[in-house]
Amino acid sequence: MPSFTVGEIAASLRSDPIGRMNIAFMAVAMRDPNPVHVEDDFARQTGMPGVIAHGTFVLGYAGAMLTRAFGVAAVRRWRVDLTAPVFPGDVLDAEAVVQEVGAGELELTLAVRNQQGTVVGRGSATVLR
Amino acid sequence: MVRDVGYAFPPGSFTVTAARAEEFVLALGIGPEEGWVAEAGAPVPPGFLMYVTTYGAHPVHDAMEIDFMKAMYGGADIEEYAPIRVGDVLDVRPVVSSVVTKDGRNGPLTFVELTTDYTTEDGTLAMRERSTTIQKG
Repeated sequence: MPSFTVGEIAASLRSDPIGRMNIAFMAVAMRDPNPVHVEDDFARQTGMPGVIAHGTFVLGYAGAMLTRAFGVAAVRRWRVDLTAPVFPGDVLDAEAVVQEVGAGELELTLAVRNQQGTVVGRGSATVLR
Repeated sequence: MVRDVGYAFPPGSFTVTAARAEEFVLALGIGPEEGWVAEAGAPVPPGFLMYVTTYGAHPVHDAMEIDFMKAMYGGADIEEYAPIRVGDVLDVRPVVSSVVTKDGRNGPLTFVELTTDYTTEDGTLAMRERSTTIQKG
């Protein structure tokens, strides 16, 4: 069993650039009728510079990072709050930092940042170790 | 009213098909584990089972009077109790669990939280998901 110390990076994952085709797949996968993800004109009317990626990209990368590092069955709870929009072309970095080491569990702090270092999602997770 | 805390949407059923799970992984460009293949028995990628997937965004959002022009997804808090796999038939029950209005920099913001329970065919509560939608005004 690997040992963990508070403050150490327990897992990380970098996405490929999120293209418009990825966003189109997400709209289909989610059956999401919101035009803000596919129509620039609509997105601009909402105050965005253009279409935005779904929040599920931020959650999906954070989740994939956890299951790839600890195993699908090890993830007991995870939370991600979305803090900034994600745009086409963005590359996201997900990171999990050890907050607390329990007998059989790890408490993690999660952050997802874009290529400028802006935090687009933050949260926490409990995983079995 | 649907926005009232405690309002329970009618129960729905969702079959986790390989195609739906694969679409989500195609969007992300990465699966939940090395060598993941969209086939019966494969684990569902985390983040896939949002209430919009399983319940359809239109009925829920329309009922809650959420305006796409003013709304954004706030995030989710997910508790996992048992594995959910491709091929599972899930009983899906969303309940309005919290409605809070806060003062934002540009006016009021309403946070609508929906808690959705996902139960597998053998009656096991497999997942509880709290999703927040934020609407201006």
